[in-house]
Amino acid sequence: MRNELVERMRDALRVVIDPELGYNIVDLGFIYDITVMNGAARITMTATTPGCPAAGFLKEGAANSAARVPGVVSVEVVMTFDPAWNPSLIEHAARAELGFAAVN
Amino acid sequence: MIGARISRWTMSYFAMALAWLFIALALMVAGVGFPAADLESPDTLVLVHVVCIGWLSVAMCGALLQFVPVLVVRPLYREEWALPALGLLGAGLTLLIAGFLALGGRLPAWLWLLPLGASLLLAGFGMIVVDLGLTAWLRPAGPIRFVLVGLVSLCVTVAFGAVFAFALAGWGGATGAVMLASGLPLHAIAGLGGWLTLTAMGVSYRLLSMFMLSPEVDDRKSGTTLVAGALAMAVTVMGGILATWLVSGLNVVLSIAAILGLATVALYGRDVAGIFRGRMRRHLELNTRMAILSFTSLAGTALLGVVLVSTRAFEAQVGAFVFLAVFGWLSGLVLAKLYKIVAFLTWLETYGPVMGRAPTPRVQDLVAEARASKWFVTYYTAVWLGTLMLLAGEPSAFRAAAAAMSIGIAGIVREVVRTRRLADVACSLRLTGGASAPALLFAKT
Repeated sequence: MRNELVERMRDALRVVIDPELGYNIVDLGFIYDITVMNGAARITMTATTPGCPAAGFLKEGAANSAARVPGVVSVEVVMTFDPAWNPSLIEHAARAELGFAAVN
Repeated sequence: MIGARISRWTMSYFAMALAWLFIALALMVAGVGFPAADLESPDTLVLVHVVCIGWLSVAMCGALLQFVPVLVVRPLYREEWALPALGLLGAGLTLLIAGFLALGGRLPAWLWLLPLGASLLLAGFGMIVVDLGLTAWLRPAGPIRFVLVGLVSLCVTVAFGAVFAFALAGWGGATGAVMLASGLPLHAIAGLGGWLTLTAMGVSYRLLSMFMLSPEVDDRKSGTTLVAGALAMAVTVMGGILATWLVSGLNVVLSIAAILGLATVALYGRDVAGIFRGRMRRHLELNTRMAILSFTSLAGTALLGVVLVSTRAFEAQVGAFVFLAVFGWLSGLVLAKLYKIVAFLTWLETYGPVMGRAPTPRVQDLVAEARASKWFVTYYTAVWLGTLMLLAGEPSAFRAAAAAMSIGIAGIVREVVRTRRLADVACSLRLTGGASAPALLFAKT
């Protein structure tokens, strides 16, 4: 049940895109972790760079989309840059769609 | 701090800069200033300052007001200074231009306009330098070091300019007269080389890496490039002042500075090539493709300089050399990046607040690159033809090239306005999820 809720949250988070890459933050590898306990969700995520003006909006967007998932009572989003995001975290399918060079 | 704030007045800076660019192009098309007049004539001084202060410096300041907080991950020292500084720069430049017109006899001989205009510019640039400098100083690493050296060069440029303005009004004393007689190259090199070129180089490192998902240039590598550039500036300014003091001529100083300048361009080329080689995104967006034409113009400027010096034609053709540097390298890069920055900031302002509530378009959906590319190509082709016409001594053909540049710029500005108006976004996504349309000339943050 809990895993199902996490999966539903991951699906909901796909509405949030990185504006520059034009792809959702889940498949870009921005979501590091999702935990849910008694409806209280905690999302640990990142962005391409700490100073990017989009970072604050991405955090807010993740909270907004997750809060709409039935079964989620509250959402806490933690933004971290440790470890730093790198293109190898992008899902294979997304990488191909974005026309990226091969990465390790 | 997570995520820099959207700069409220960057769009206003860009709008004012583009307005001055159109004035400059109108002057060139009308045959006011070089090449119809001497390089040191009042008319040419009008043209040069409209381009270098009104267009390039104002656009660069607007970009840095957004960019420095992104690099430093700290808010600006004083965000509220941005608008008064823009007002001072606009008013100062207008008075300075009026002063040059008075100097050339196009207005009554109100030469006091020159020091008054220079004082306002000093105040405007002073606010910018303090605001950006104190912010940048919090994290002096990577590309931000270029910005810091650029800001120091801006101070030197403005100081020289103020001395000249007071001297032209007859208020500069003996020192002012001596500096005015021989210091013009130092003022120009500090402005075009130190302030505009080194800052543009620093900003480009970060923007290219960011937009192509390429690893950052190693700090030691970019540091070597910066040291060469900073040395070129130090030799020019300190050596130039010493040579002026000793009345020994500037040839030796300028030769050393030229060699260091060439080394800077070569090292920068190496760094930029590394960014392109290491990129993850294979497809190049329009702004990056057009930046390549700007880098080509920089290489062309360096090559032209070498050829002109080796054929002893540099002094006679310095106008063509500066024209290619200003419009091919600097203006080309600023236009390419302005096109991208406007789209990115417009997206953030419009769709950032509704993210997570509704599907949003991508930044790329705000622009129509295929349509915009022809305006950029028109612009660059006109600039290169204009350079050739200057070299060939064909002022009428140069004016035709300036007219073609104006057409290119008008097309680019139309595209940028369409981006601000969300005109190319699909109707279903334009104001999705309760998004509100942005204002044209400032950010509603």
